[in-house]
Amino acid sequence: MDTSGRDMQEKFVGLVQEHRSLLYKVCRVYCFSEADRQDLFQEMVIQLWRSYPHFRGESKFSTWLYRIALNTAISNLRKQRRRPSPVDMNEVPTPFQDMTWPGEEEEQLQQLYTAIDKLSEIEKALVMLYLEDRSYDEMEEILGINQNNLRVKMNRIREKLRNMTKEAAYGIR
Amino acid sequence: MELDSLKYAWRTLESRSAPDKSPEQIRALLHQRSKGPVEKMRRNLTGELLLILVTYTPAILFYFLDFDGKLSGIAWLFILLLAFLAVYFYRKNRILKAMQCTGCTLRSSLQQQVDTLKRYTRFYVRAGTIMIPIMTILSWLIIRWKFQPAPGADLFYRISGSPWWQHPLTWLILLIPITIGVYFLNVWYVGRLYGQHIRKLQDLLREMEEE
Repeated sequence: MDTSGRDMQEKFVGLVQEHRSLLYKVCRVYCFSEADRQDLFQEMVIQLWRSYPHFRGESKFSTWLYRIALNTAISNLRKQRRRPSPVDMNEVPTPFQDMTWPGEEEEQLQQLYTAIDKLSEIEKALVMLYLEDRSYDEMEEILGINQNNLRVKMNRIREKLRNMTKEAAYGIR
Repeated sequence: MELDSLKYAWRTLESRSAPDKSPEQIRALLHQRSKGPVEKMRRNLTGELLLILVTYTPAILFYFLDFDGKLSGIAWLFILLLAFLAVYFYRKNRILKAMQCTGCTLRSSLQQQVDTLKRYTRFYVRAGTIMIPIMTILSWLIIRWKFQPAPGADLFYRISGSPWWQHPLTWLILLIPITIGVYFLNVWYVGRLYGQHIRKLQDLLREMEEE
């Protein structure tokens, strides 16, 4: 690899390190087991590296990163290796069994994850971008859905999540 | 639960829980092989190409060198078939290359995947079906051309006529149901391989488009 190639690689590695929490969030939302998350993380980094020479800086780096990460998560991995049985899914918020967060906020976050888990793949992407405080402009740039449609979908998802957590609180499955 | 009230928790707690990755670990990932389905399909295609080259080359050499070169026509048939397969692999590879657009918006990327995957399966079915009559007709021509009756048997052939299995009409009648059967077999196989994935992508697109 020549000097410019090495420089580009170093810059890329630095950017991935800086934004790794975004990638992990995508992995958490779309994968059930730690092994699947590792696989998805690896795949996303490979796809990012392949597309990096085409990144012209026309959009924010994080927007570009989200686009590739979500594309990879939603359309690239056809099969998840380890998926818990439906019985387990009702008992425990499976993606986060290993996480122990004390406090009310953390508990709410765990509830949120359990609810997100029941959403479709597109809805998961929307919720994630919303929680990341991305503007509707940016969401449109990432997902390719027009803003009016995004707002309608977002309202519907909010309602859906509200109902899900209400049902969980009253023990309705 | 209100989503807005969870924004802060999501952004802070989640960022804290992300495992650390050293630059070396990230650098190592760059040299790993992709496990994506398109990459796997491209690797399988290369494997198929190698397998064909490995099996056809000795056969071509055999028919060129043995029998004092009298059966070189069969070697040329194999070369013709290889040329046909080269076009087949080239087309397939081009379609697979066009399938990925990770830098596009999610919607365009899904649309592109659906379109190219459909093109890919159509090509798979057509090429797989047309190969059967081409191969059969070429084999028949070779048999007719290279395996003439022995000089002593001419009289027998003149008296009895050519055997039924040598008649072009017999071949044609057999070829039609076989080709139709192979077509449906290909349709079923392609559906089994990619049908579910295409339907899943179409469902995602539909969900994105509906208001």
